[in-house]
Amino acid sequence: MVNAFDLVWLIAALPFLSFVVSVTVGRWLPKEGALPGIAATAGSLALSLWAFLTVRSSGAHYENELYTWIDAGGFELTFGVLVDPLSSMMLVLVSLVAFLVHVFSMGYMNDDELHREKGGFPRYYAGLGLFSASMLAFVFSSNLLMAFMFFELVGLCSWILIGFWFREEAPPSAAKKAFLVTRFGDYFFLVGVVGILVTFGTSGFADGGFPQIASHFLETGEGADHIWVPGDLDTQTWFSILGLLVLGGVIGKSAQFPLHTWLPDAMEGPTPVSALIHAATMVAAGVYLVARMFGFYAGLPTVLAIIAFIGGFTALFAASMGVVKDDIKQVLAYSTISQYGYMMLALGVGGYVAASFHLLNHAFFKALLFLGAGAVIVATHHHQDMWKLGGLKREMPVTYYTFLAGSLALAGIVPFSGFWSKDEVLYDALLIGLEQPLFLAAYAMGLLAVFLTGFYTFRMVFLTFHGEPRSEHAEHPEPLRWNTKGPLAVLGVLATVTGLLNMKPVAELIGNHDILYLENWLDSGTAANGGEWMGSLTYHHYGHLVHEVAGLHEGSPPPSAELAPIVFGAISLSLALGGALLAKSIYDVPEPERMTDRLGPVGRVVQRNYYLDEFQVWLATGVTEPVARASNTFDQGIIDGAVNATSSVSLFSGERVRRIQSGAVTNYVLVIVMSLIVFVVAVGIVGGWFL
Amino acid sequence: MTVPVEWYLVLSAAVFCIGIFGILTRRNALIFLISVELMLNAANINLVAFSHFYGNATGQVFALFTIGLAAAEVAIGIGIILVLTRNFGEADVTLPTEMRW
Repeated sequence: MVNAFDLVWLIAALPFLSFVVSVTVGRWLPKEGALPGIAATAGSLALSLWAFLTVRSSGAHYENELYTWIDAGGFELTFGVLVDPLSSMMLVLVSLVAFLVHVFSMGYMNDDELHREKGGFPRYYAGLGLFSASMLAFVFSSNLLMAFMFFELVGLCSWILIGFWFREEAPPSAAKKAFLVTRFGDYFFLVGVVGILVTFGTSGFADGGFPQIASHFLETGEGADHIWVPGDLDTQTWFSILGLLVLGGVIGKSAQFPLHTWLPDAMEGPTPVSALIHAATMVAAGVYLVARMFGFYAGLPTVLAIIAFIGGFTALFAASMGVVKDDIKQVLAYSTISQYGYMMLALGVGGYVAASFHLLNHAFFKALLFLGAGAVIVATHHHQDMWKLGGLKREMPVTYYTFLAGSLALAGIVPFSGFWSKDEVLYDALLIGLEQPLFLAAYAMGLLAVFLTGFYTFRMVFLTFHGEPRSEHAEHPEPLRWNTKGPLAVLGVLATVTGLLNMKPVAELIGNHDILYLENWLDSGTAANGGEWMGSLTYHHYGHLVHEVAGLHEGSPPPSAELAPIVFGAISLSLALGGALLAKSIYDVPEPERMTDRLGPVGRVVQRNYYLDEFQVWLATGVTEPVARASNTFDQGIIDGAVNATSSVSLFSGERVRRIQSGAVTNYVLVIVMSLIVFVVAVGIVGGWFL
Repeated sequence: MTVPVEWYLVLSAAVFCIGIFGILTRRNALIFLISVELMLNAANINLVAFSHFYGNATGQVFALFTIGLAAAEVAIGIGIILVLTRNFGEADVTLPTEMRW
């Protein structure tokens, strides 16, 4: 019988095959490459589900080497597959979203008149295929080096797809920005990968890999002989440096402050691509990487604090910008940054389950929202400005209700999925924050962001779907076909129900922890061969590390342990509802007003994204460029100058010295004779002949 | 009574210096050639004198070689002087100065 685990590599190989097919023969196929992509991602989805169910039924982890790249005697660089609860869950999620995006793309790109004229679909589907393939391979990577390679490939694909309409002005520049900004972070990641390989001699994730070696050392102090540390640096400090270097790549990819600026610009790409980037690939890759090597981070309190603080700050910071945007895709872009901030916050406080849970829920509801926005955009002939939409509720009921489900999930309204995961994130942050004030600040920022999230989400819903149509196109939207409605319906259902996977407040209240399916899922694990306990990848192990090794203890919340989750869940729910109701009172009227103008200078600053883009441009032109120019001057003037001076001195002296060559034989003879005489006299003086 | 070897050396040095003096002061290529012959023969005197001094015939044999060499040298030298005269009209060694940088 064929084992599901032996076919895991096919999950990434199938979309790659569709990429090859689209590139080579795509333009002669019906639908120009859409069908192979759909078939391939459907195959990946089926295989992922199979692997998922196999992990579930056998409780098995699976690790296998596929290919040894470099074998340097005791030091190997390999490509391998690691399937455990986390990666199998992520495989299902990524392949599902990729599949739905492929289906939706057929409606968004191929059926749409405006896009039909522009063409280039084989290139589009090739990009989608490669994007899915590299993300899926990234997800099942068994070591950090392989993960890094596919991480880079994901970045490359985002560049291809964001700049898909390369003949226009904005998309290529947005693509370049995305590429460069994430590459800036990836630079640190690469240094971190090399550092980890040098330090531990391995970059594997599973048992025996670097997270286990590191946490084992931090816990017991054993195994120091196998750990290389530069100079007399403290080992934990060195681990923290490595962790922060890898975190650089995470911050770039997951669009965390201050490297988030590429993401809103990336909205220039086709909308289904935005859905894929935001929900399942690219942006998710960063957070997934932290979760993947969480055993490494969990023992480092400094790094955890930085992760939590960046996450909390980004959640609030991005939400504040989402409030003032007029473009529906821009609002969604900032909401993505904000939501990934929550995941980082969760990881920073050791909420491994909460982060994975939010990653899962966010993937569904954000894919849903982007596809819904795409449906609106395609129906209204590419109007993205919410002030030109409105009143679409009547004409587009399927889109409206699914979009509403996604919005409720995003805003965190019970019982939609986002509520449960966001609440768990905040509750985990609060428990740690009660003991450590810094984490409490991160929690407070996250909590404040809940209000803003509720506000901007429903501002978007009301402006787009409620009220009266504010433009001709919004009045008569194009009808949509099954290939746009189908994915919306599937995601709408998922966004509504996935929250039931891990209802922490309910579980605490009724005292039944069996209903925490996700937590139990991420806590399971035995090795496939030999049945050995893969203890280093479980939530239990991570929790132990965070509490005992990193020393982040949970405080006890004010009411009893059973009631506290409910109480704090109610607080965040009321904040979200407050934001939603405020949005309703302002924008759910027949003639909504632009409130952003009344915000005065503050509004302008927020609307210009706190001038961060300008600041980064200034960094490039005002700081980097003068430094580069100064180094250029130094190089040309001092370094090259020294070389040139040497050569011109020899040239000049050579020019002078050669004048003694007269060409007359007599002169040469004279020189020879005189030299001989001088030599003999010199030898005589030294030899003492004349004394 | 034999002549002491030092005298031969003094004679040889004197002939050699006359040769050098000729090369340094004269401009005629023929005189040049003659001066070079003088220097060569100064060396020959040395060879023969030492050969006699040590009672060993090798030096005298070597002097024969030098005489043969001098003959060849004169043949080439005369040829060069002929070309020189043909190109410049006279055999002045300071005239051809093209062979420099």
